Amino acid sequence: MKQSNQPAKTGGSKNYAMLLFVVSDEPNSKQAKDNLKRICDAHSDKRYQNKIIDVVEDFQSALEYNVLVTPTLILIEPPPPVRIFGNLSDTNKVIEALRLTGD
Amino acid sequence: MAEKTPRKDIKKATNNALELQKIPTTIPGLDDVLHGGLPAGRTTLAIGGPGSGKSILGMQFLYHGAKNDEPGIFVVFEERAEAVRQNALTLGWDLAPLEKAGNLFLYEAHVDPQAVLSGNFTIKGLLTIMEGKVRSLGAKRIVIDAIDILLRLFDDPVRERSELYALHDWLNDHKMTAILTVKDAAGAVIATRYEFLDFMADCVIHFDHRVVDQVPTRRLRVTKYRGSGFFPNECPFIIGGGGVNVIPISGIEMRHKALGAKVSSGLPQLDNLLDGGFRRASSILISGTSGTGKTILANTFAVSACKHGEKVLYINFEESAEAMASCMLSAGIDLRSALQEGKLRIMTAMPESVGSEEHLINNLKAIDEFQPDHVIIDAVSSCKRMGTPRGAYDYIMLMTNACKEKGITTILTNQTEGFQEEHEISGVGISSNIDTVLFLRYIDIGGEVNRVLLVMKARGQKHSNQYREFHITDHGIDITDVYVGEGGVLTGVARQDQEAKEAVEFRRKQLEIEYKEHLITQKKAEMTADIARRHAELAASETEMKSLKLEASLIAGERDSRANMRTDDKVNTLRKTPAPKNKRQDASRKERTQ
Repeated sequence: MKQSNQPAKTGGSKNYAMLLFVVSDEPNSKQAKDNLKRICDAHSDKRYQNKIIDVVEDFQSALEYNVLVTPTLILIEPPPPVRIFGNLSDTNKVIEALRLTGD
Repeated sequence: MAEKTPRKDIKKATNNALELQKIPTTIPGLDDVLHGGLPAGRTTLAIGGPGSGKSILGMQFLYHGAKNDEPGIFVVFEERAEAVRQNALTLGWDLAPLEKAGNLFLYEAHVDPQAVLSGNFTIKGLLTIMEGKVRSLGAKRIVIDAIDILLRLFDDPVRERSELYALHDWLNDHKMTAILTVKDAAGAVIATRYEFLDFMADCVIHFDHRVVDQVPTRRLRVTKYRGSGFFPNECPFIIGGGGVNVIPISGIEMRHKALGAKVSSGLPQLDNLLDGGFRRASSILISGTSGTGKTILANTFAVSACKHGEKVLYINFEESAEAMASCMLSAGIDLRSALQEGKLRIMTAMPESVGSEEHLINNLKAIDEFQPDHVIIDAVSSCKRMGTPRGAYDYIMLMTNACKEKGITTILTNQTEGFQEEHEISGVGISSNIDTVLFLRYIDIGGEVNRVLLVMKARGQKHSNQYREFHITDHGIDITDVYVGEGGVLTGVARQDQEAKEAVEFRRKQLEIEYKEHLITQKKAEMTADIARRHAELAASETEMKSLKLEASLIAGERDSRANMRTDDKVNTLRKTPAPKNKRQDASRKERTQ
């Protein structure tokens, strides 16, 4: 499952790589996917490389990334990595945690 | 009849309960407590403070399973997998080969403390990881250590509960035999959390690591076992090589064998006193002050038993094996051949080196390994140095019980400070478990100090009640005849003492009776005197009254005569009619004239 959340607009923008671990049919997971998309769309000056992983289908990745709770969003790039648990409903908190503000 | 029906139902229910499948933990002692083992396909809760041994229990359960090709998963929240491997190694469990063989999986479930929380989430991630691993390993056992770390993420009892439900359902659906450990740091798990955990678990075991009189002691207690009986008391346990060792409850219950046949004490003269020797499977206490020859007597027995092809385990808390052997040699008792032939095994330990539970488990293990016919513990008086008097008591009781069950003779030596302590160890009464008591003491008469021996008690045996003098020579112990002191046979003296005491008591009573009798006589005399006095008083009163009456009549008489003087004869004649009155008047008149 791969979903690219849209491309470069300006040359000086940062590259973002995120992993969103979900359980496909779970309401929280659906909300998390929607919320992430909304947040990314609102910050369209960045380049996003987002990957959505369904743990039921790919428990190995869950194991590898030590994903105990779903949904879990892991910010891989830019470092340092950040983990966010939950359906990402608290938009401001998510934006702050992902360091999408500031530049 | 109506009452019989529900009874049948109960019986049926019990039968169903018996069908509850159990998986033996193979943890020494614990399966007895659990009446067979953990409930198969169900959840067991292990609750306890940090370092209380609950995680070790979990690992032990998985390790034994993995060794027997029953794969398991260890989910660890707080430690690194590498640390778990290292800890397991110190307990003698090499996990790496089991992991390689696919019989064990260590899952280091690290909860990132830096993680940002935003909105709802579930533990589905953990469940899918476990699901994947359970499937690939074919695991039936799982340990989650410690569930409270995961629950902490939720910070809300309602959400916590719904996640526990999810976990519970998952464990049930997969028929996992699970152990969930829960930390109980502040003495109690958060009430709401505990309530629910307790509800979802079929078996609950509490672990406790406390310090009593400066001695750390471990206890575990099963508080719940759905559909099964269990031993409800607190059970001491230790963590040593091989993990958790629970003191076997077989030692707590009484399953003694009857006392067996006679076995020689190693001294024919002593055998005579005991009507043939010690009884097998009995416990014998050799009590006495320092240097009276307790160890020599015990070793005399040991060497004799070994010569007859029997095995003796000598547990020495006082001195090293070498020191004892050389000391015995100077008294003509040679332990070397018995040691070389493997008939005699000497186990030495400082009492304070470990707690009483650990001594007990070590010694019971040695008994299981060596299978001795006789066990000597030298000296039980040292056992109080294991820590608490209670610990020493438990050690001695459990040791003697375990030996009695196995038909092993136990010889305990006890160093006393005085006569009154002869079969007690500093207030710790063990006499009920002791069948025979030999008392050794010094006797100081005529400027000479001699050793004497007395058979104070011999359950189920005829025995002499007299002191015997004995000598420690360079060829062992030599018991001589009945000891005769200045006042005849010593026991006689003791008896005379007792008789004298009784005589004094009798005399005192007699005196008391005499005194009481005297008091009564005195009271009687007092009473008689009193009666006499009262009689006298009465008589005096009567006399007084008589004279008063007399006076009164005289006065009346005078008045009459004065009246007569004033009235005529006629009147006088008429007044004379009542004869008595006139008579009296006449009399009084007469008296007067006289």
